[in-house]
Amino acid sequence: MKAFEYFVIDCPEPAGAEMYRGIISDVLLDLDLIRIIGQFRVRIDPELPVFIAVGFTKKLPGLIRIGNFCNVLPKPDGSLLLDVGSESSLAAMLTVLWERFGRDNIDQPDRFTVVVHPHEPVTVDELSDIVVVDPSEGMYRDLIYGLQWAAPEGFKVRRQYHKDNRFYYVASEDTLPADVVETLVAEQFAAMEAEQ
Amino acid sequence: MTFVPITYKGGVYKHDIVTDLIDDLGGFIIQRHVIASDVVVQALVPQEDIELIREISRPLAGEVSESPLVGTEIAVVSPSLEIHHLPHSSCDIAEYLRRSGAKTNMVGLARGFGKRIANLSIEERNVINEHDCAVYLLGSFEACIEHKFPTLRRGITVPIILSGGPDTAALQKIIDPPVEGYVGNIGRVGHRMRKEGEINKLDELVDEISQVLTEVRKGIAKDPLSVSPARLMKVLDDTWGITEGSTHPTPITVQIDGLRVKLPYEEFAEKIGTTVIDEDVTVADVTEIRQSKMRNYILLKIKRFSDTAIMI
Repeated sequence: MKAFEYFVIDCPEPAGAEMYRGIISDVLLDLDLIRIIGQFRVRIDPELPVFIAVGFTKKLPGLIRIGNFCNVLPKPDGSLLLDVGSESSLAAMLTVLWERFGRDNIDQPDRFTVVVHPHEPVTVDELSDIVVVDPSEGMYRDLIYGLQWAAPEGFKVRRQYHKDNRFYYVASEDTLPADVVETLVAEQFAAMEAEQ
Repeated sequence: MTFVPITYKGGVYKHDIVTDLIDDLGGFIIQRHVIASDVVVQALVPQEDIELIREISRPLAGEVSESPLVGTEIAVVSPSLEIHHLPHSSCDIAEYLRRSGAKTNMVGLARGFGKRIANLSIEERNVINEHDCAVYLLGSFEACIEHKFPTLRRGITVPIILSGGPDTAALQKIIDPPVEGYVGNIGRVGHRMRKEGEINKLDELVDEISQVLTEVRKGIAKDPLSVSPARLMKVLDDTWGITEGSTHPTPITVQIDGLRVKLPYEEFAEKIGTTVIDEDVTVADVTEIRQSKMRNYILLKIKRFSDTAIMI
C-alpha cells in the first residue's frame, strides 16, 4: 500500500504527537483510506484546545455507470436485457433499478442476467448512462468518520469541509466561529505548502 | 500460614485431583472457569505447598503460576465507552489484568472525556470506591491530564494507579497530590496491544498494581481482618450454594478486605448476615453488610480485629 506523499503532525508535546501519528495511521489503515489521501497535515494544540486536520486526496476513480460493467441489449418486447460482466456493483445497480422502475419490473433470471421492463420507453444509451456508484460519496463519509475517531474524544464541537480534492476537519471543546476556523485552516494549508 | 495467589491451567480431565488437593491443603478456590476442554482455576494456597501442587499437576499437563492479582477486584476507569478508548486500549488492559487473576470491572465514565468538560458523577465515584483500587486510563497529552485529573479523582478513596500517554516521570511531575502508582507510555492506541513493547508495558502495569496492593495488604496486616475474605467466601458458598445457583462468572467476588455477593440485597442481606461462620460467630458479627452501588448486589466489608475482638 502506498503511504502518504506528505504527513506531518504538529503538536507542542512531541510524545503526544508521536502517539497521535500511530492512532491516525491505525484508523486510516482500518478504514482503507491511506491509499486515497495524498497530503495530510494535523495540528493538535491541547492547551487551546483544538484539533485541525487538513489535506488533499488523490485522484479518485470516476462514477460507475451501468454501461461500464453491463452489456445492454434491447429485446423485441420493449424490455432491456443487461448482461452483467462484473458482480462487484450488481447489488448497487439492482437498488438503483428497483428505485427507478419498481421491483415488479426488474427480473433476475440468473446470477449474471437482469431484465428491465420499463413502464415508459427507455433507450439503451439512457439505461447505460445511469450512475450506480459514486466512489467519492462513501469515501468522504469514511474520511470524516475516521477523523472523528482519531481526534480527541472531548472535542465535540466540529466543522468539516470537502470539495474537489481538498478537505479539512476542525474540532474543539469550545465554540468554533467560522472566521476562526477559516484562519486556522488557512494557516495549516499554508504551512503544508511551505514545507513541501 | 501465608497464602499465595496462584492460577492453575490445564485440561478438564482429572482436574478435580488438583482442586481437591488445594482443598485438603487448606487453600481456597476463588474461581474455576471451564472453557471447552480447558480449565482455569484461581486459588489462594499455602506458600509452602506450591511445589507439591506443581508436582501433582505435572502428570496432568497442568501449569501452576503465581498470579499476584488473584483475590482482588479492580476498577478500570475509562473516560468513556466510545470507540476512542474501546476496545483498545481499555479492554486490552482489563483483559490483561484478568489474566493475572484480578476481577476487573470496566467503569466507563459518562462525561470523562475532554479537558474542560470532564466530570465524575457521584454514582461513578461510589462504584469506583467499592473496589480495591482504580486504574485510570487517560489520554496522550500532559496538558490535558494535568487539567482534568483533579476532577476525575475527586472523592476517590481507594488507591489510584494512573496510566497515560506521557512517560512515568512526566505523570509524576504533573499530578499533585501524588497518587499511589504511575505507568506512563500507555495512552490511546488504535490497534490491539500485542507488540513486544506494549506487552512489556502491560506487565509493568501489573507490577505497579501488585506493589500498590501489597502496600494495602501491609496496612491491613497491622490490624488484621476478623476473617479472611476467601474463607468467608467458602462459608457462604457452602451454606447457600451461591456458585451452583448462579450464572455469573464470579458469583462471589473476593476483594482484599471484603466480598461482593451477587444476590439481590433486599432478599438475601439478612440471610447472609445470619450465616454461621464458626460456633456462635455469624457473618453480621464480623462484617459490615452494605447495598452495593453496582446493580443491587450485597457488599460485605470485613471488620478489623480491633473492632470485633474476633479472629477466625
